[in-house]
Amino acid sequence: MDVKTLTKLTKWMETTDLEEITWKNGDEKISLKINNNPEHSATIASSMEPVLAPYIGIFRFARPGKTNHLKEGSAVKRGQELGVVEVGKDFKSVEAPSNGLLKIISIEDGKPVEYGQPLFFFEPR
Amino acid sequence: MFKKVLIANRGEIAVRVMRTLRELGVDSVAVYSEADRSSLHVRLADEAVCIGPAMAKESYLSIPAIISAAKVTGADAIHPGYGFLSENAEFSAACRDNGITFIGPSPKSIQQLGHKSEARKMATKAGVPVTPGTKDCVSVKEAAAAAAKIGFPIMIKAAAGGGGKGIRIVRSADQLANEMNMASSEAKAAFGNGEVYFEKYIELPRHIEVQFARDTHGNVIAFPERDCSIQRRHQKLVEETPSPAVDKKLRAKLEKAAVDLAEAAKYVGVGTVEFLLTQTGEFYFMEVNTRLQVEHPVTECVTGFDLVREQLLAASGEKLTYTGGHTVPLLGHSIEHRINAEDFSRNFAPSVGRIEEWMLPGGPGIRVDTHVYAGYNLPIYYDSMLAKLIVWAPTREMAVERSRRALAEFKVTGVKTTIDAHQLIVESPDFQAGKTDTGFMERLLAPAESVKAA
Repeated sequence: MDVKTLTKLTKWMETTDLEEITWKNGDEKISLKINNNPEHSATIASSMEPVLAPYIGIFRFARPGKTNHLKEGSAVKRGQELGVVEVGKDFKSVEAPSNGLLKIISIEDGKPVEYGQPLFFFEPR
Repeated sequence: MFKKVLIANRGEIAVRVMRTLRELGVDSVAVYSEADRSSLHVRLADEAVCIGPAMAKESYLSIPAIISAAKVTGADAIHPGYGFLSENAEFSAACRDNGITFIGPSPKSIQQLGHKSEARKMATKAGVPVTPGTKDCVSVKEAAAAAAKIGFPIMIKAAAGGGGKGIRIVRSADQLANEMNMASSEAKAAFGNGEVYFEKYIELPRHIEVQFARDTHGNVIAFPERDCSIQRRHQKLVEETPSPAVDKKLRAKLEKAAVDLAEAAKYVGVGTVEFLLTQTGEFYFMEVNTRLQVEHPVTECVTGFDLVREQLLAASGEKLTYTGGHTVPLLGHSIEHRINAEDFSRNFAPSVGRIEEWMLPGGPGIRVDTHVYAGYNLPIYYDSMLAKLIVWAPTREMAVERSRRALAEFKVTGVKTTIDAHQLIVESPDFQAGKTDTGFMERLLAPAESVKAA
């Protein structure tokens, strides 16, 4: 077996949840073992980027007394406040990491969110 | 009883607490950091929420994140486990201020008993013997008289010190002036304060502790003592109950001291009083741990109590399981081995990686408390404990035999563990004879280390 085939095989393995394979052909035998831990391989190719909750708490589109007219398809600017996470009497800002188009809003006002939960998906520009 | 309890911890203790909650029909909430997503406590809980990044400071030690997690999940109480926020008065107060029950003592009790000099005052008030020493700081002028009153050997300790720093041992009067000068200038350099005080130095003591529980109705139980003398760099490795050095008469005195202290402090919950026991059988108060301890299972094995259950009963205002007296019967002998991911052959260096093989011992008298499973990746951010192996047998001799058998059955590959260090302990004639003190590990490892050096 050549390096090219080996590379192909390892690449293929990474797309599965296999951790170990053994291939046998006559006297030739090869065992491959990769670290296929889901924590390392759970990445999906996409042009969209998530905006994650910075804290555990209750999500609000706007601070008390303010409004927010954010819609799917809205253009957002880097650093723009997309919402807040209410933590006790404190509000943690959820900001757009760069300029782009807001594609998906995956959270509702007043819902609990945990740390690292995707709240929005946007396409950077 | 509570409806839903959040466990502000990780690892084996989170799993341990959940087991009791399940038996009581109480829902459990796990909190976890990003590094613990695949941890067993997350899988076993009724609900789990991510509270922050891997660094403990921003997750398991973050009071706002944990309080927020309790609010979001609707938990009515928080169990802090051990370590992290378990002895933090500020956290206990934050729970109270947010209408959540902290499963542990009040902020006041934590401050009174968690603070060393405050706890010493409380012990003196309760009539519990404390290590002889000077009440206040000692000047050069007073030194000779103060030292003579305590009796050599003495320790010179920095008033502003801690963590074993700035301590000097003086064995005779002629060394005193010189050591006093050195201690004072060291303290000044390290802590910006040259004041020192004296305490009796106890040669090769045993570390003995008494678990107690007290409810809001004033019921108090003191459990048979645990012997935790086998330590390396102040970290406990093996704990057992009862202590081979304690007879019935001494046990009664130790238990009484714990009950008196719990009463004096009006303590609610479970706690542990630590004592130093001299070679000649005197004991002195050292400190109080205001939380559940790592080694609590040995007490459970010889008494049949579930200490987490007692903790929950006390915190919810109910009565303890047993209210018929201050002491409980003791049956048999129990030993706990803390199995860590450390390389014994490389001076206990931490070992990280993925657990490939994980074969636990079983059979009569064996209990293993762990959060580890085959395929688990050890996060590098937290302590290195993998499991607690607890054995029970009718006699100490049989318990030691059982430890030997269980340690040989325990197979772990992928990371290095301290199983072989425990085998060395179990094989030691001194351990088998029950002759242990806080210098045991140093003596046990000394020949091995000199072989490595050669």
